Amino acid sequence: MNDQAIQSQAVGASHPRREARQKVTGRVEYIHNLRLPNMLYGKICRSTVAHAKIVSIDTSEAEAYPGVELVLTGEDIRKVMPDPYFGVMFHDQPVLALDKVRYVGEPVAIVLSKDSNIADDACAMIDVQYEELEPVFDELEALGASTFVHEELKPGIPEISFLKGVRDTNVGFPYQLRHGNDVDAAFEAAEHVFEHEFRTHPSAHVPLEPPVTVAEPTGEGLTIHTANQSPSFVSYEISRLLGWPQSKVRTRVPFLGGGFGAKLWIRLEALVAAAALLAKRPVKVSLSMEEQFYTITKHGATLKIKSGVDKDGKIIARKCNVFWNGGAYADIGPAVAFHAGMTAAGPYDIADVAIDSLSVYTNRPVAGAMRGFGHPQLIWAYENHTDMMAHELGIDPLEFRRRNILREGAEHATGTKLNTSAVEQVLERVAAGVDWGKPFDKGEGTIKRGRGFAIGIKASIAPSTSEAIVRISSDGSATLYCSSVDMGQGSDTAHAQIVAEVLDIPVERVHVVHPDTDVTPYDTGTLGSRSLYHMGNAARLAALDAKDKLDQLAKEVGAAEPGSNVPIWEIFARKNGMPVGNVVGTASFTPPGHVPPDPMTGQSPDITPYWMFGGTAAEVEIDTETGRVTIVKLVNVADAGKLINPKIVEHQISGASIMQLGQTMQEKVHFDFGQVTNASFADYKIPSMLDIPEIVNDLLDSEEAEGPFGAKGAGETGSFCVSSAVANAVFDAVGVRVHEMPITGETVYRALREAANDPLGED
Amino acid sequence: MTPFEIAMPTSLREATGLLDPEDPTIRVMSGGTALMLMMKTDVFHPTRLISLRKIEETASQMGLLPDGRFRIGGMCTLAQMEHNDDLAAFAPVIRQTMRMLANVRVRNVATIGGALSHGDPHMDLPPVLVALDAIAVTEGPEGSREIPVAELHAGYYETVLNGDELIREVIIPAQDARRMTYLKCTTRAVKDWPALGVALTGVFEGDTLEDPRLVIGSVAETPIRVDEAETVIKGRSLTDKVIREAGEAASANVETIPDELGSAAYKSQLVRVYVERALRAVANQTV
Repeated sequence: MNDQAIQSQAVGASHPRREARQKVTGRVEYIHNLRLPNMLYGKICRSTVAHAKIVSIDTSEAEAYPGVELVLTGEDIRKVMPDPYFGVMFHDQPVLALDKVRYVGEPVAIVLSKDSNIADDACAMIDVQYEELEPVFDELEALGASTFVHEELKPGIPEISFLKGVRDTNVGFPYQLRHGNDVDAAFEAAEHVFEHEFRTHPSAHVPLEPPVTVAEPTGEGLTIHTANQSPSFVSYEISRLLGWPQSKVRTRVPFLGGGFGAKLWIRLEALVAAAALLAKRPVKVSLSMEEQFYTITKHGATLKIKSGVDKDGKIIARKCNVFWNGGAYADIGPAVAFHAGMTAAGPYDIADVAIDSLSVYTNRPVAGAMRGFGHPQLIWAYENHTDMMAHELGIDPLEFRRRNILREGAEHATGTKLNTSAVEQVLERVAAGVDWGKPFDKGEGTIKRGRGFAIGIKASIAPSTSEAIVRISSDGSATLYCSSVDMGQGSDTAHAQIVAEVLDIPVERVHVVHPDTDVTPYDTGTLGSRSLYHMGNAARLAALDAKDKLDQLAKEVGAAEPGSNVPIWEIFARKNGMPVGNVVGTASFTPPGHVPPDPMTGQSPDITPYWMFGGTAAEVEIDTETGRVTIVKLVNVADAGKLINPKIVEHQISGASIMQLGQTMQEKVHFDFGQVTNASFADYKIPSMLDIPEIVNDLLDSEEAEGPFGAKGAGETGSFCVSSAVANAVFDAVGVRVHEMPITGETVYRALREAANDPLGED
Repeated sequence: MTPFEIAMPTSLREATGLLDPEDPTIRVMSGGTALMLMMKTDVFHPTRLISLRKIEETASQMGLLPDGRFRIGGMCTLAQMEHNDDLAAFAPVIRQTMRMLANVRVRNVATIGGALSHGDPHMDLPPVLVALDAIAVTEGPEGSREIPVAELHAGYYETVLNGDELIREVIIPAQDARRMTYLKCTTRAVKDWPALGVALTGVFEGDTLEDPRLVIGSVAETPIRVDEAETVIKGRSLTDKVIREAGEAASANVETIPDELGSAAYKSQLVRVYVERALRAVANQTV
């Protein structure tokens, strides 16, 4: 612990994570440990079929089982939530299935008991009769299917109200971007046209703490204790469902054992809230590790990408068709289609661009936000594509990128001008990270070596808002109230550093109050690497406001003359008669200037408050007899602006790259007719220490003009380019291209045999 | 999870008496590493678990027998086997295997008896014990049997053990100058269930390999001893050509089962490659 009383520097120093000691000694609060008096445990009875009408649900045996307090089905939920469909974009997801089930694992009923084992046993006694419907699992098949996951689209927010009443389609949201002139004409004029298709698979977030929620009726209100990344939204959405004032729904979130996007918006909160109100007792639902796999996944996608290149090796046209497998409910999927779709042209300067990015409903578990928000999938496609074009044109991949890169001041395909040269710097640094252009040992015999790199770009979410309150106590210590969730990324520490810097007090003198909607003000959510920029600014402005008020107070009590050294306690004592009291500063930060993109063309002069840039280079070693790829080294380059806490930033970058490396090399959710068949850590393998190579993180020396002290978010940046860097390195080593993740030994070995005109048998 | 009974017998004989061959919900538990996973995933719902933790101490002991064979009590943990220097001197392949097998936490509690009687085909130890020609000595109501480990596995999670028969000990015959190795291949994480295990032992007379035992684990329902490949190498010097032929013979004759770790065709390729590598490894071993 850093117990120093006086610090020289708040912002820019690697202060230890403030919760670290509590965490490693097991003292931190997690909702999994919360037990309330009189509390019931809920266990969820889940659909065993992928797509079916519910004919009947017989709960009588479960209800009669000794120890069972209550069994609820979808119809029961209506007693407290008249229209029990939730969702951040579409109001399409029932709290418990109504009429129909749309994926294996969908909650159909909940059993409440004082004993979770009894609730579990009783779940198995619920008899659900289904009339099976044709399911659809593949995102491309879903486009032309005659079976529909939803009969009618149910848009829930004004921006997508044009989809209201749309029927008989599995396309949930069609994003499109048109930049420059007619892209097909540009292809006609191009010297070379390249077209490639890539696929990515659904992977799982698997935070070590699975989703968990406790709901507690409190007389006239409701308290929701939950592991959630968006507490403000939870209160908003639950009050909407209940028809209550938001002020009566209190959501509080302590620490999270990992989030990665799995705990955004509504997970268990609506179900547990309804159950608690109906049972008139506190109710807790803790998902098992297995249930996580049925609850939320990362999007699998099919990505088609076509580019036209002129005789000088300049990309002049690009067309992208992206199909996101969104699973049975929209969740934030349409925003993934939109947000990732808008950067499908990559960090390249391309005159004519057409992008269609569709979120597609299928009978799979819901796909939602995951670290990188669709960008790792898209960058996988466009950075494979970039290397493939370079090789086919006989141009060095670095040189090819230099010719096409988006330079400072140039207009991105979204119509927004790039305000930084960071992307060029990332490119040069990432190539230098593997000594690109210098001699390299390519291996011999059955061991071949290769290196590759990739660069990527992501816009921040817009519009979004963070609000903060800073309270200065009479001893000069400060308290920050904000709804950012520290889920391991270190936001508590970073925000405390910002407040300490403004108030010029030691970081240890700042207390951070965890999200509690009774006291902490609104925040869009802890997502998309937005907290440091948005909440960082709000905390900074609230601290400034508090400081101004303290200065004002000093003036009022005659302690503000130049050279005054009246201590803070005395300022308060002069006002309040005793050294007690507070000043309270507040701030609400919504980055100014955002122009919503044109719905037909996606064009906007100001689409993002800031850009995120990342690059990764990989060195690999391949056993050509088995195809097994060993990652020797990863070099991550990131633009994180000024570093508030350099060590935390570095951990974020390597953590994100390791997570993406797992999904690149070994993680895949397997389905058998919609049923997840590897829903455990025994069969779903995340990286262990032995799978992690040497990692070098290289952070640009940069400054984000409007960021708090020049900082910006970096939680996702390390995830962007790992997959395509590895794929490019594999190509460099053995000359074969992998079009689908994960890049297993078998995938590579098959590609090698294919290339040798001796394909390996299918089965 | 429905409540169940836990019995704590103090002898193996007493434990077998608590078993009921007709009732699969009654099972013994030694380390519990496999059983607990099955219970957590709702695959197994016991009515009674018989813990072997308190049975006679000899079950957890191992050592050289006067006749030159090595005895390992059925309740010896894999970690005990890993760290026993006498066993490492007797059959070095065991320590070599343990370092690749699961992880420290599993090895600290999993036992040799449990590892064999579970019948899980995706295990590292069974093919090694087959290649060492080990014998499982069992205890049941009808007395004791000696079953070669090579004959123990009857199918996918099936053994020839009767429902009330337990493994008392495993006996490994003297290995003398036999060379041995075990190669493990994983296809997802580095530390993972084996997609393939190749155990090989044999006696070198000069350059030629005599009495080879080549055992393939994890690709099929049981460990498989590959006669066709053994025939190729038996009595021959391990030239590149012979090694390639042996790999080919193993690949052609071992029927592989596709699963999430790999297709059948890919696993056949792995068999070829790892058999060749195992042969090179023993050929290059210094005695």
